Amino acid sequence: MAAPLIDNQDTGVVGFWPWFYQRISGVLLIFLLAVHIWMGHFSGLRAVIDGRQEELVLYSIVQQRLAQGLFVFVDFSLLALVLYHGLNGMRNIFLEWPPVANRAKAMTLGLWVLGVATFAYGAWALLAFIL
Amino acid sequence: MALSFKALSLHGGASLDRNAGTRAGWWAWFLQRLTGVALVGYLFLHILVISTVQAGEDAFDSVLIVLQKPFFVVLDLFLIAAVVYHALNGVRVLLFDLGIGLKRQAGLFWVCMVLTTILTVVAGYFSLPLIFRN
Repeated sequence: MAAPLIDNQDTGVVGFWPWFYQRISGVLLIFLLAVHIWMGHFSGLRAVIDGRQEELVLYSIVQQRLAQGLFVFVDFSLLALVLYHGLNGMRNIFLEWPPVANRAKAMTLGLWVLGVATFAYGAWALLAFIL
Repeated sequence: MALSFKALSLHGGASLDRNAGTRAGWWAWFLQRLTGVALVGYLFLHILVISTVQAGEDAFDSVLIVLQKPFFVVLDLFLIAAVVYHALNGVRVLLFDLGIGLKRQAGLFWVCMVLTTILTVVAGYFSLPLIFRN
């Protein structure tokens, strides 16, 4: 076998659970993003081309969609999963950068705070369509 | 060689990829990073744009009308390319984690590139009426 393939030899390791959840969230995001992009960009295309609808995305259109429980579930799941996947991806990159990786715990905590705060902010925005 | 879970947690398919010692493996890894970081940046902008709804329906609509102008539809195609590549290569890396396909890693990278190109061209084709509308 070639040279050992060890991440972050001098610093930290990614850890089993972050590695595992990155895969799980990634697979779920493929399906949720397919729905999200389809609904946002393609499902109303014919109506816009035919002039029956002014734009693909407007407040009234999003509000109608979010009146269905399924899309409330899809959008909140997307928000949580995409934040986890994106910020955990950033953590994997930071762990390879010694100045930050030396403070891995603080960095991870910082990313969690950013993620939770952004989730709250995004949820607050979504609720404007629902309430 | 079978990889144990402990080994996987230390190595991960993505870094395995980077160390695979082929040009395709390096490009696959590099593009995964590039698209990943770009998508994180986009995510925060996307949430910020949607949050304009808190200033009222009209505020949201006026921003969204601008963001559906042809220039932004073209930008959306780059976004689609980034998402599709990141997702396909993510599946490629996941297969490596499961011990599948490592010997064909370079070929699988090209499969990702070709599928990304095809899907982006198809999305572009369907977006043409939005790009060239009055």
